[in-house]
Amino acid sequence: MTDPAPSLLGDTAFLSALLDTLIPPGKDRPMPGAGSIGIEPAVKELIAADAQAGPAVVAGLEALRGRTPAFASLAPAARASLIEAQAALDPSWARALLRHVYLAYYQHPTVLAALGEPPRPPFPEGFEIEPTDPELLAALQARRT
Amino acid sequence: MPNEPVGVLIIGAGASGGAFAWSIADLGTSVLCLEQGPWMHQREYPTNFIDWESRSLGPYATNPNVRRLPQDYPVNDSDSPIQPLMFNAVGGSTILWAAHFPRFTPGDFRVRTDDGVADDWPISYQTLEPFYATNDRIMGVSGLAGDPAYPYHEPPLPPIPLGAAGNAVAHGFERLGWHWWPSDSAIISREYEGRSPCINLGSCGSGCTQGAKASTDITYWPLAQRKGVELRTGCRVKEIALGPNGMADGVLYYDAYGVLQEQKAEIVVLACNGIGTPRLLLNSKSARHPDGLANSSGLVGKNLMFHPYALIRGTFKEELNGRRGPGGCTFWSHQFYKTDRSRGFVRGYSYEGTRGSGPAMTALWGMATGRVPWGEAHHEAFERLNGHVAGMVAITEDLPDEANTVTLDPVLKDGHGIPAPKVTYTLSENSRRQLAHAVDRGSEALRAAGAVDVYAEPLMRTAGWHLMGTARMGTDPKLSVVNEWGRAHDVKNLFIIDGSIFVTSAGVNPTSTIQALALYIADSIKKNVAELFA
Repeated sequence: MTDPAPSLLGDTAFLSALLDTLIPPGKDRPMPGAGSIGIEPAVKELIAADAQAGPAVVAGLEALRGRTPAFASLAPAARASLIEAQAALDPSWARALLRHVYLAYYQHPTVLAALGEPPRPPFPEGFEIEPTDPELLAALQARRT
Repeated sequence: MPNEPVGVLIIGAGASGGAFAWSIADLGTSVLCLEQGPWMHQREYPTNFIDWESRSLGPYATNPNVRRLPQDYPVNDSDSPIQPLMFNAVGGSTILWAAHFPRFTPGDFRVRTDDGVADDWPISYQTLEPFYATNDRIMGVSGLAGDPAYPYHEPPLPPIPLGAAGNAVAHGFERLGWHWWPSDSAIISREYEGRSPCINLGSCGSGCTQGAKASTDITYWPLAQRKGVELRTGCRVKEIALGPNGMADGVLYYDAYGVLQEQKAEIVVLACNGIGTPRLLLNSKSARHPDGLANSSGLVGKNLMFHPYALIRGTFKEELNGRRGPGGCTFWSHQFYKTDRSRGFVRGYSYEGTRGSGPAMTALWGMATGRVPWGEAHHEAFERLNGHVAGMVAITEDLPDEANTVTLDPVLKDGHGIPAPKVTYTLSENSRRQLAHAVDRGSEALRAAGAVDVYAEPLMRTAGWHLMGTARMGTDPKLSVVNEWGRAHDVKNLFIIDGSIFVTSAGVNPTSTIQALALYIADSIKKNVAELFA
């Protein structure tokens, strides 16, 4: 699929600031900001693949950037206010944007590691789960027919 | 070159088609199955990749209208509050199912007798019992014998561990003194028949890379092929053809290259699910059958039943590791399964315990329910959910209603130009009351389990997994489409073996019963073959 808006999605400073505003670095947690781990290409890919909402996401981002060319240099609180204003105009824009950001962020190895998850595909190692509580099993045994 | 005629032609290689093929192969005649989808490849399933959660949303989506793969056909669901779900491949919807594997209870076959509503089935639990047992053995079922809600049966493998998530919620049921029992699951908990056990990948709903979850492409089909059954993929049946004697003569189908082919057969068997089967019958009109094949009763496509689902989830303080383990296989509860008219509805529902989700789906769910904002408060809110969610779904018994239908859409067509189905469905007041009750009681159970926050979705829209009733079984040709062993009243050599033939839906997942029925019908054909066409 062709890049829906290379000029916008190629604006790394804007995108990084946007992502760091949506998911900032954790203050008292080891969570990285979304703008610091290099997920911009993944977000861009997800938006481009979203035939239904992708164009509206790009249009909203264009409007945001067009209204404040210095978006990236603003303080986080000021950036958040601008995003809120844009979201108020079109709440579905924010939901569609966040969907792509959350998908990219929460599948990134750095983020998985920060969450305590092994940064790998589930297969082939798989996972352990806790056994059935023996107290529960004992209760069931008493009721077996 | 014309295709060689076959003895038995099966349309659809899913849950019922696979089971039936394996059994009917013993008849000693040639058996062919036409499947519109392809073979699946475990190495391509999402859990091979770190972005498995994203991959689960696209080509592995449960809704064919979202997936839109070449092998899918569109379904007009604009007049239904529940979206029909299915998968088209060898294995059918068992590729993506949760593998929660309850049987129907004996009472589910005598709804009219017990409760004065709907109809009784022309067969009983006892009729199907040996076929349930055979099916459990072939699919590989894990469970704990002795559930007082059922006649005694022994699953071949020990139960799947509840894990922290299942333990937490089960304790809630235990504290309330409510029935609960570890699920029968079509997921192997130990090595079994050359298959490796479950390693808790946590993504049953997008295909099991390990092969621990039973899907008929890895259970029945290899066995059926070893018996000589031929399976042709990428073949979409356009219509069933009739011979001059009024019997089914075979089918016309589009092959993998899009070429229209004719396939003659002595027996034709439909295994296309509760939407695909009536669609094909309605698309098989002729001068002799102007309203669609096998439709002298007018009931083809009527009495569509889903299982209306409610979702009830709780957030717990303790870590539950809910993304790990089979998501839909912890326990079931039949506490509210049988009719108690003081509740304001007839029949009832079961609960199916559920685990949590992966981090990305947790974030999306948190956003959708207003629990995870973006910005400064994001991490704290996400942390409260991630790994801390468990709950259940309520599966309510849907009663048959002739106004709930599968018809042919006048405009919509599939990739071969074949008219697509349209679903028209209204949620009944009885179902609505069941759902409300299930939400209230499920919330009570989660609070008893220690949940600090409870969320409920009283009617899940993307939950039409179970498609039933659209070519019902019965002894009276005026009131049913097939007889008590799946044979069409109107066409002696036409059989239906999928969920279409259900008389009632029960309040549990149907696949175990669909497959037991398919095995029972195959067995009936084998026993009656001498008089089949008399």
